[in-house]
Amino acid sequence: MDHLEYLFAGFAVFWAGLFVYLLWLQMRLRTLQRELEQLQERLEEEQPATAPREVAAPAEGPTSARTAERGV
Amino acid sequence: MSARGFEATNAATGNGPLGLVTRLALRAYSLRWVALPPLVGISMFALIVGAVIAAPREAVEGEVQRLFYIHVPSAIAAYGAFFVVFVCSIALLWKRDMRWDAVARSAAGVGVLFTGFALATGAIWGRPIWGVYWTWDARLTSTLILFLLYSGYLLARSVAEPSDEQAARFGAVFAIIAFADIPIIQMSVRWWRTLHPQPIVFDPTPSLPGEMLIVLGIGFIAITLLATWLIVLRAETESLTLRAQELRARLDRREERGMGRS
Repeated sequence: MDHLEYLFAGFAVFWAGLFVYLLWLQMRLRTLQRELEQLQERLEEEQPATAPREVAAPAEGPTSARTAERGV
Repeated sequence: MSARGFEATNAATGNGPLGLVTRLALRAYSLRWVALPPLVGISMFALIVGAVIAAPREAVEGEVQRLFYIHVPSAIAAYGAFFVVFVCSIALLWKRDMRWDAVARSAAGVGVLFTGFALATGAIWGRPIWGVYWTWDARLTSTLILFLLYSGYLLARSVAEPSDEQAARFGAVFAIIAFADIPIIQMSVRWWRTLHPQPIVFDPTPSLPGEMLIVLGIGFIAITLLATWLIVLRAETESLTLRAQELRARLDRREERGMGRS
């Protein structure tokens, strides 16, 4: 009557879905952060020594804050 | 939407009531990384305790009825996310600012996720109660249509470049029209004869016992906070994507200039 297996399945679907989505978001954020750092390095390398530096404004959020801390 | 965007809006709105609301929104938005994760954690923990332990056992359906505490808030969170898409799409068409498109895409992704949760938990709940996982009932079918409409929107937007303004405008028009499905879903149980129960929460006289209403209220708060946090995280990835695209374009222009000189 209680159908506990269905209750468990419903909660499991919700938590598993949420976990997978968060994992995917985290991976995407990390990939983008790495790509941004590489692009920023390439920009700085190709910058002529005499030319004024083009400083890119850091985007918002925890990843970009970390990027800014490293001075990238 | 970046804090700089809100600051610009703030400067534009001045000291009137709208300016005050904007400043409050800006202040709340600036606390998102500090306030949202612990709030989501605490409220989700309260939801689990409430749904699994504190809420009373339903006399007719038994323990499986506890799925109600994630099924209904997931559906409401999806409606909220699609409302954000609707508002941002109108703002995009009005202001022609691509940051609105980034927020709309973020909210659409989260809306599709929570519609998926509502459909999946509903199907699992329906199996022991109705005897089937799925039936072409008006409420279920219109919710599936909502899921497909916004999945299509996300697919179309992912095919185009994030900075493609024309694709963003077409997407915004589509998202505004797709939002019309939500009132249809809400009214479907009144307009057609359906297996899905009639509204018992948003009724002038809710028929739920007090303890169940309290746990459901905690569910609404927890899942709305969770959806907000996911939209913020997703908007962050969209903003980084736009930033990477901008840097790539700058590098390309520089390489072209270098090749032109040589």
